[in-house]
Amino acid sequence: MDSDPQGLSMVYDDPEGNGYLGDQPSLRSQQASSRASNQNHPQFNWSSTPAEKDEEDGGGPPRDLRSSPLPMALKRAVRQVQQMQVPVVSSRESWRRNKAKSLRKLKDSIRGFLYFFALWRKTLQKIGGNFGGGVQSFFLFLRFLVVLNFVSFLLIAGFVLIPSIVFRSVGTHLVNSTGKEECMQYDPNPQGLVLFYNYFLDLLSGTGFMEYSYMFYGYYNNTLVEDRNFSYNIPLAYLFTSFFYFAFCFICIIARMGTAARVAVATGGSAVGNYSMIVFTSWDYGCLGDQATKLKQKNIHYRLQVDLEEESLKKRAAALTTKQKVILYSLRVLMSLVSFGLIIGAFYAIFLATEFSQGKSGQQGIMGLIYEYLPSIVITAGNFVVPLLCDQIALVEQYAPSTTVIVALFRAVFLRLVSLGVLLFTLWSQITCEGDKTDKKCELCYYNYKNYQCWETRIGQEMYKLTLFDLLINIAVLILVEFPRRMVVDNWSCKLAQWMGRQEFVVPANVLGLVYGQTVVWTGALFCPLLPLINTVKFVILFYCKKITLVHNCRPALRTFRSTTSAFFFLVVLAVGWGLATVVLVYSVAQIHPSMGCGPFRFSPSMWLIVPTTFNSLSETTKEFLFFIGSQAFSIPLCVLSGVVLCYFASLASVYGNSVALLRAQLKLEGRDKQFLVKQIEMLGQQLHISKPSTGAQD
Amino acid sequence: MGNKQTIFTDEQLDAYQDCTFFTRKEILRLHGRYHELAPHLVPMDYTKDPDCKLPLALIVNMPELKENPFRNRIVESFSEDGMGNLSFNEFVDMFSVLSEMAPRELKAIYAFKIYDFNVDNYLCKEDLEKTLNKLTKEELTPEEVELVCQKAIEEADLDGDNKLSFADFENMITRAPDFLSTFHIRI
Repeated sequence: MDSDPQGLSMVYDDPEGNGYLGDQPSLRSQQASSRASNQNHPQFNWSSTPAEKDEEDGGGPPRDLRSSPLPMALKRAVRQVQQMQVPVVSSRESWRRNKAKSLRKLKDSIRGFLYFFALWRKTLQKIGGNFGGGVQSFFLFLRFLVVLNFVSFLLIAGFVLIPSIVFRSVGTHLVNSTGKEECMQYDPNPQGLVLFYNYFLDLLSGTGFMEYSYMFYGYYNNTLVEDRNFSYNIPLAYLFTSFFYFAFCFICIIARMGTAARVAVATGGSAVGNYSMIVFTSWDYGCLGDQATKLKQKNIHYRLQVDLEEESLKKRAAALTTKQKVILYSLRVLMSLVSFGLIIGAFYAIFLATEFSQGKSGQQGIMGLIYEYLPSIVITAGNFVVPLLCDQIALVEQYAPSTTVIVALFRAVFLRLVSLGVLLFTLWSQITCEGDKTDKKCELCYYNYKNYQCWETRIGQEMYKLTLFDLLINIAVLILVEFPRRMVVDNWSCKLAQWMGRQEFVVPANVLGLVYGQTVVWTGALFCPLLPLINTVKFVILFYCKKITLVHNCRPALRTFRSTTSAFFFLVVLAVGWGLATVVLVYSVAQIHPSMGCGPFRFSPSMWLIVPTTFNSLSETTKEFLFFIGSQAFSIPLCVLSGVVLCYFASLASVYGNSVALLRAQLKLEGRDKQFLVKQIEMLGQQLHISKPSTGAQD
Repeated sequence: MGNKQTIFTDEQLDAYQDCTFFTRKEILRLHGRYHELAPHLVPMDYTKDPDCKLPLALIVNMPELKENPFRNRIVESFSEDGMGNLSFNEFVDMFSVLSEMAPRELKAIYAFKIYDFNVDNYLCKEDLEKTLNKLTKEELTPEEVELVCQKAIEEADLDGDNKLSFADFENMITRAPDFLSTFHIRI
């Protein structure tokens, strides 16, 4: 019995559609002939008119050509034909086409321009080729933060720093006001002779000569310049710049999340299809170099082994008896409580250290420096020790490997961000006497004026110390731990060294460090306006340090981090950090009484109240317009309209999801139909074959 | 600005720009790379569209392709004669499809061709076994190879014929988030 290729072409033939699928019968019939024929590429359907094609896609013929799977010579011929065929269109249509074409050319030239300016492009390419997409996503994230911090610094410099410098040098226009004399005392300048090494200590702790400088909140005045046709209100500018800075950072994060989220949603995030995906999509075609290739192959091998192992683990877990399951679950609950207890212990240690450090502030010398840095030291130690212990706990819990990674990540994020929160809470309780306005210390000035003559500067100093300490620790670890480890592993061939092995570049831990540093900067930006600039420099130094350690000391991780879903996850954690900083900002602007001895808000009961006071001095029409926008007559219809638009988009999304599921089911059914029809054809063929010899025999 | 290049006419550069995802500068740079593969074979002046093809052996020696286990299949999929001899048109086409701006559908079509070792328009078990062996440099045992190939076909095969047609492959690729970033050669 011989199968009939022509019969099959009856089923598969698709004269109208895309050239590729319609090519199948001719390819299969030609398979017997030599491969050196020109059948490697699909045929082009010359009969389809350009007008039809243009209706399908909005970009015009060139976009369609780029994405069509035709060989280059054919594409150029098609382009020539399309250019010669002048389609008969209305003048408006041709104007629209010309506009689209020039817009595309503009976009291409902008892309070429930006390509030239992209920071560290070649370095990132090399890192991606040698260490994979996961590590590259860390460095891309770092680059994003550098640019974000630099642009924020430009904002702050333009609206707050430079006007302050200008007005201070020109002459002060301070607004005086009477107030409680005791609360207005603020004397940051050091008395008497200052030793040289004290300058160095002051640089590290933000005190002394650094305290009363543009660095911190306390130096800025409540300057109010009102010339004939120019007025500038420094306090208002300070407040609005901070608000705008936060909003700008949030918009950048959301915009960047948008692209990552689209990919995550489109792929449905399904864990099914693991093996086929590993086989077809795991090889990174951009992999360069011999070493990287061998490692990539080992990596894929390891992944497949891990997946096979996870399968067998799942089978074993499903086969557990009820008694074993109960024991396992109670063990897991116990271990979660233990890890939670460890984290709470770390928080308590931070609380104690901060109280102790604030109590001992003002001490001189090296001991004074250590007391100043005590909270930072405890936070860093906690962030190092507790995850190690939690890793050991995870061994007892016996989750699946992928679940273990996620659980460890959540614990680390919780630890980092909430430890910062504990530090801030301790500071708050000291500054505002735990919110108790009737406490003896806080009665007169509504804040603890005895210990904190300028509490905003003190908070700014704490954030400055945290940032600096983070950078110093990173450099110290690089020099004192990573380089020696590599030298030991490379030159000493004892068993211990080989078992320890070279450093692995662990992406999640490094990203959490970046998020923590950025959250500290956001929290401190209101109180230390130059902090974004310091952070930019810090992140640039960090980029080169991490690059050096990656290239020289690290081996690529066997367990890789998925680059697309992980980019989204980093941004989510960054947004959580942003949320924490916003809470701090809103609370300090609205609730806490500003220091009366320093800063641009010294004569107002709260930072926010500057806005209504300035508001009252605006012109009548502006006031009426702003009142109208804030009133219910405007905002309620706006809310209702937004609700309607949201419902529309939600229903659109669910409709698309439904149609995708339906199409998938249809695809399956069509496959089965094909099989059924093929079997029918074979049966018919058999029947024909059987009946033919019988008719032949009759003749 | 600067020197007027005489490698291509403006018309040709426009055509290349419209047919690929590269800008003029990148196309000229690609021509430089193509030329340095075989300086005595490739003419500097392409204004007359010379008919010059480089053999497979020269192309797979490029640093971007040298270590890629699929280098032979990649070059063969883009060559017109199926033997791996690339003219400059096909060379540019290859890197255009593998660049980061090519859409998913286009990359899926060529990925399917690359993994289809016996060129029968289906990814059968032998194709998958060859792919897997090239991926892991034959470190897996034959039983493991068998198991993984079987599972992969089970997961992706929709029409139940025990091999993957292009529709099955494309359906599986749409659910892979990393495909666009891994199927990408930086040049």
